[in-house]
Amino acid sequence: MKGSVIKYERDNIDTDVILPGPYLKIHDYAELAKHAMEGLDKDFHKRVKPGDFIVAGKNFGCGSSREHAPIALSYSGVKAVLALSFARIFYRNAVDGAFLLPIEIDESAYHDISDGDSLEVDISKNEIKNLTKNKVYKMKPFPELIGKIIEAGGLFNYKP
Amino acid sequence: MSKTLFEKIWDSHIVVNEDGRSLLYVDRHLIHEVTSPQAFEGLRLNARKVRRPDLTFATMDHNVPTSDRTLPILDQTSSVQIKALERNCKEFGITLFDIHSPNQGIVHVIGPELGITLPGTTIVCGDSHTSTHGAFGSLAFGIGTSDVEHVLATQCIMMEKPKTFEIKIQGKRKNPHAVTAKDIILSIIRKIGTAGGTGTVIEYRGDTISELTMEQRMTICNMSIEAGARAGLIAPDEKTYQYLKGRKYTPNNYDELVNDWRDNLKTDSGAKFDKSFTLSAENIAPQVSWGTNPAMTDDVTGSVPFPDEYGKGNPEEVKGATKALQYMDLKPGTPIIDIVIDRVFIGSCTNARLEDLIEASKVVKGKKVASKVRAMVVPGSQLVKKNAEEMGLDKIFKDAGFEWRESGCSMCLGMNPDILAAGERCASTSNRNFEGRQGSGGRTHLVSPVMAAAAAINGHFVDVRELDLN
Repeated sequence: MKGSVIKYERDNIDTDVILPGPYLKIHDYAELAKHAMEGLDKDFHKRVKPGDFIVAGKNFGCGSSREHAPIALSYSGVKAVLALSFARIFYRNAVDGAFLLPIEIDESAYHDISDGDSLEVDISKNEIKNLTKNKVYKMKPFPELIGKIIEAGGLFNYKP
Repeated sequence: MSKTLFEKIWDSHIVVNEDGRSLLYVDRHLIHEVTSPQAFEGLRLNARKVRRPDLTFATMDHNVPTSDRTLPILDQTSSVQIKALERNCKEFGITLFDIHSPNQGIVHVIGPELGITLPGTTIVCGDSHTSTHGAFGSLAFGIGTSDVEHVLATQCIMMEKPKTFEIKIQGKRKNPHAVTAKDIILSIIRKIGTAGGTGTVIEYRGDTISELTMEQRMTICNMSIEAGARAGLIAPDEKTYQYLKGRKYTPNNYDELVNDWRDNLKTDSGAKFDKSFTLSAENIAPQVSWGTNPAMTDDVTGSVPFPDEYGKGNPEEVKGATKALQYMDLKPGTPIIDIVIDRVFIGSCTNARLEDLIEASKVVKGKKVASKVRAMVVPGSQLVKKNAEEMGLDKIFKDAGFEWRESGCSMCLGMNPDILAAGERCASTSNRNFEGRQGSGGRTHLVSPVMAAAAAINGHFVDVRELDLN
C-alpha cells in the first residue's frame, strides 16, 4: 500500500470534525466524502488523493459512534490513518466495513513523518517505509480480533 | 475466584470464547434513526431477518425537531430518515416509540424510564452515550452501524475483552445542590484525560457514588465515553431496584430477579482491577469547560489557563490549548465568571431528566433570562416533559423567558434546527464541547443544569455555591 501523507499535528481529532453532525443525514457515501474532515480542514476534500494516508496524534476518532466518520474518509480515498492512538469505537468501525486501516505508530515515527511524504505500508511485516526520507518505522501490531477482521475483509466475512 | 462486576456480567454473556475474543449475547438492542438505516439495508440485501425483534426497541431522537410536532418536518433529509425508521420497524416487527408516542425521547433517557434497562444485562446501541445505562449495573456499549447490523442479525456482538478500571470517589460534597454529578464526572475527566479510560470498562465506586440518585448516576456513566472508556458501570443497590419497579417493561418476575441481583451483582472483595484512580469529592467545585474537549475544564473560581501552564511542558498539550483558546475566542487569565454567554441549552442524554430540570428551575424561579441571552430547555423525553409540566416547571422556565421544547437530542449535536450560529457562545448541559459540535463555529461550555440556569439569568457564569438552592 503506497500513498502520500496528509498530516494533522493534533491530538483528539474527534468524529464531529471528521464528519460534522448535520451530514449524518446523508446516505450517499460519495456525497459524505465531500464533507470529510470539514470541521478541521475545509480544503481536505480538494487536497486528498486516492491512496492517501492521514497522520495524526493521540486519541484519533474520539467521540461519537458514527460509522459515517471512517466511511467519509474511506470514500475520500484515505486508505489508512496512522495515529499515536485511537478511540476504540472509531478503531473498530474502521475495520468492520473494511473502510480503512487504523494503524498505531510511535512518537518517533509521528514526529519524523512530514506532510506530503510518500509512505509504503506493509501490514504483514508491521512496517512503514518512508520513501521520501528513506527510513523504516515499526507499526504496532493489530490486536488479534482487529487483525482477523482486517484479514477477512470486514466483520461480515469474518468467521470465528 | 474473586471477580469484578464487569467480569461477572461479561462471563455470563459469553456464547463463544476464543483467546480473549468473545461472542457476547445482547439482552437489549436500542436503535434510533441515524445509525440504523444502513444496517437494515444490509439485512435486506442479504435476505436476513432481525433475530430478536422482541429484544429490540427503537425511537427517533437525533434529528427530530423540538418545535410543534403537529406540524410537518421541514428538513427533508431528517424526514426521510424518520420515515425510514418507521418503515424498517414495521417491516422487521420492532417496537418503535415514534415522534408522536408518549414514550418518545432520547434513547438513553427512555431505556431506564421504561424499564428496558435492567441490572446485569448487556445493552448495545449505535450511539456512544450508551454507557449511560451502566448506572443500573448494565454492561452497555456504544457501537457503529456494522455492529448494529450484526446484532440485528445475530443478537450477538464480537468483542475483545476490555480491561477493568476502578474509579473511587469518596467523601461528602460540601454543597450537593451546587456541586452536581456533572461536576464530579467533569472533574474526573479533567484529571484522567480524554483517553484515560481507553480500552477499559470503568466501575465507579465509593460512598459518594452510593449517595447519588439514579438520575445522577446516569450523568456520571453517560460521560464515561468522554474519558475514552468502552463503558461505565455502577453496582446496583436498593435505589436501583426501587427506580425500576413497576415500569412499563419491568419483567413480571421482578422481585425474584432482584433477589438474585442482590446476591450477585457486585464486585467481590479481593477482586483486582487493571487500573485504579481515587478522587475526593470534598473539594470538588462547580466546573466549567473552557476548551474544545471535555478535559479542558476548570473550577468556576478559576481562570482561562495560559497554554504553557496548562501544557506543563508537553508541547502537544500547549499546542492543543492554544488552538482551543483561539477557537473559543478566550484570553488566558480571564476569570471564568467573566465569560459572557449568548445561548443556554438545558438538555441532552447527560442532563435532561426530571431532577436536572427541578434543580435548574430553582435558580430560574421568579427571575428573568438576561436580555441578550436566548435560552432553551429540551426535556430528555416526553415522559420527563409531562412530569415536569405536572409540577409546573414549564411555567417557571417560560415565565423567565426560556423556550420550552419537545424532547430529543436537539442542540447537543446540531442535527436538527436547534444550532448555534458561528461565534455564538453557549452554556450547555450536554457532553461534548468539540469544535462545531453545536453548530459550525459555535462555542460550547459544558456545565451542570444549575450552572446553565444561573448563566442564563446572569448572562455569565457564576459560583452557584453562593445561590440558595435548597
